[in-house]
Amino acid sequence: MLLLILLSFLLLTGCWSSKEIEDLALYAGLALDVGQPAPVEEEFEAKGATYSKKNKVMATIQIVPTKSTSGDEKKKMIAPKHYINISASGDSILEIFRQFSIRRDRPIIGHHLKVIVINSDLLKKQTIEQLMDFVLRDNDIRPSTLVFISRGKAQNTLISSQPNEIPAFHIYGMIRNRSRTSKVIQAVTLSKLDGLMYSKRSLVLQNLETAKGETEFSGVGIIKGSTGHWIGNLNQEDTEGLAWIKNEGHAGVIKTYDRDNEPITYEIKSMKSKTKVHVNDGKIAFHVSIKTEGRLIEIWNSKGHYTKDESNIKEVEELFKAKLKQTIDELMHKLQSVYKVDVAGFGEALALKDPRLWKSIKDDWDDLFSKTEVTFDYELKITEFGSFTDE
Amino acid sequence: MFKRNDDKITASQATIFLTNTVLGAGILTMPRSVTQAMDSPDSWITILIGGFVIMPVILLMVRLCLKFQGQTIFEFAGKIVGKWPGKILCLLLILYFIIIAGFEIRTLAEVGLFFLLEGTPIWAIVLPFIWAGTYLVSGGINSIARVYQIIFPITILFLIVSYGFSLRIFDFSNLRPSLGDGIMPLLKGLKSSILIYTGCEVVMIIVAFMENPKQATKAMLGGIAIPFGLYFLTIVLVVGGLSINTVITSTWPTIDLIRSFEITGFFVERLEFPLMVIWLMQMFCNFCSFFFQASLGVSQLFKVSYQTMIFIMVPLIFLSTMVPKSRQDLFALGDAIGMMGVWLFLLTTVLLSLVWWIRVKGLKQHV
Repeated sequence: MLLLILLSFLLLTGCWSSKEIEDLALYAGLALDVGQPAPVEEEFEAKGATYSKKNKVMATIQIVPTKSTSGDEKKKMIAPKHYINISASGDSILEIFRQFSIRRDRPIIGHHLKVIVINSDLLKKQTIEQLMDFVLRDNDIRPSTLVFISRGKAQNTLISSQPNEIPAFHIYGMIRNRSRTSKVIQAVTLSKLDGLMYSKRSLVLQNLETAKGETEFSGVGIIKGSTGHWIGNLNQEDTEGLAWIKNEGHAGVIKTYDRDNEPITYEIKSMKSKTKVHVNDGKIAFHVSIKTEGRLIEIWNSKGHYTKDESNIKEVEELFKAKLKQTIDELMHKLQSVYKVDVAGFGEALALKDPRLWKSIKDDWDDLFSKTEVTFDYELKITEFGSFTDE
Repeated sequence: MFKRNDDKITASQATIFLTNTVLGAGILTMPRSVTQAMDSPDSWITILIGGFVIMPVILLMVRLCLKFQGQTIFEFAGKIVGKWPGKILCLLLILYFIIIAGFEIRTLAEVGLFFLLEGTPIWAIVLPFIWAGTYLVSGGINSIARVYQIIFPITILFLIVSYGFSLRIFDFSNLRPSLGDGIMPLLKGLKSSILIYTGCEVVMIIVAFMENPKQATKAMLGGIAIPFGLYFLTIVLVVGGLSINTVITSTWPTIDLIRSFEITGFFVERLEFPLMVIWLMQMFCNFCSFFFQASLGVSQLFKVSYQTMIFIMVPLIFLSTMVPKSRQDLFALGDAIGMMGVWLFLLTTVLLSLVWWIRVKGLKQHV
């Protein structure tokens, strides 16, 4: 009996490597910027508190939630922030993370990392493979983490002017708005990025723009597969164009101006596209058919042109079609002539159609693509006029 | 321990016994090993072919066993090829079982250490599993089979549920194009897709314990069909969910599939932890099978008491667990085990069947 009791002391001591969650610092966001010592670091370094490194990258992590402040009511006059951002620079992300351990009281842990934001200037200097290597290997960080790009300082995207908000979660939640607009691209998770990087495909990451403590999804940044560097951005309308071509969009609007230069707006109810590949003697051509249905949702013109007769509807449909065509043409111009990359899924379509041909050309696909003929046809149908009628 | 006389198992128990012996840690790495060898999204076809290759193998084993009703390979091998050659064959088989047992526990510990229990010493994970295994195995085949019957539905249900949720990142175009590079990649991947059935040699032992050997063929084919189906499901979902490029670069692709999505609002947001904890039970079952076979083999071969043998096995298995120095060693060992399996199949099943056939049909001897 005594032996049993002693044995239970030995065996029922709980988990071996357990760490209490209160004693850990969870980080939810990671921002990577061009390396320069953070202000705090500069002061540390001035005092000789440094180690051997090159300042190639500055990592900022967002730790949530910070300790709940208890005690004096009066001190609570300023609303406490729910997060702390902490930055340091160096040339190894893990080393920077470990460097936080000599600055913070609680060890940081990456299980709940939701978003990674990378500055585009940093991506000009370093390749995406270099920057993502550690986060892909680490056992805490999940491959479901989302990756974004930012033209401005990436660490600013982790700052919010809203008092009760955690910016990392905010950005993570904004992805849900894909149901309302096709300016939000399908989120790129680490596992997806891993595959794209491995196959050296050019890719786009959602771009984040900040102003006055607010963050906005604005277009996408292009990373060229062959080099792994950032080469430029596509604006918000181009991003919509991408969604049309890749058949990835769900919703959105098309706004254009009628003959009196008043805005009219079409709400997309369905958007579908189909890419056909034609290969003739090694000459590749694509044809994309775009089909959409929607409702006429907003008319500013009060002259009453908009009756529901057939010819009238046709005329309005043509207006929207022209606008859609303009969007797509602009995008194709940028992809084929300015940046010379295929990020609209034409390569994938070819790979499905003719895998052998694809295998032989996939390494110079971006160049070939810029000389490939792509044609479009559009089918746009207004099916209703909303719940308001002006007849 | 307890004295049992009913050391027989039913057909459904035999089916689950075979399933649990084949299905273990392999499912966590299989998509990578197959896809890496092929570099093409056609891995699901290879898995299908592998499955159809393994069926006749199982049939051959069952046929051989049915010639010697109630006897395991350790007992009948000597009768076919002579006492000493038989003993050597069986010793090879036993060595093979000990190595796999160690391999299974080590993989279990590696996965557990990497994702769940960072900081726990490896022996602290390995030893309790071996001890618990010792207790289970000392109960004999009937107890083992009963435990399997309890664990199996839980692990499979949870695996299917996790796979079900992974459908949200499933993209059919990741599995296309089919046969884009012709059939060459299929052949390259075939080796890996057969090696995942390591452990099916258990057929030559469990058939002897079946209550009703007439059902053996059906039960064993069923027992191999379950892992076959699950492997197929795994390869389709993992490649479809992650794309082949991600699968190739991932150490544990099946876990990475589950790690690639979050279910906000569900009572667990991330399924990889429960899945891993539950899959540990499956790997434990897998380990116990090999533990059991190795102990039984030695005891039948040298007429030693089975209970004593179990305890002698414990340090041997522990040693075999700790031999690989790194995870790279472990994966290399996994490949080696697969190749050993193929050779042992040729040496035992094919050779024994051939010799038996020549002696009985050709020389009209009575074996």
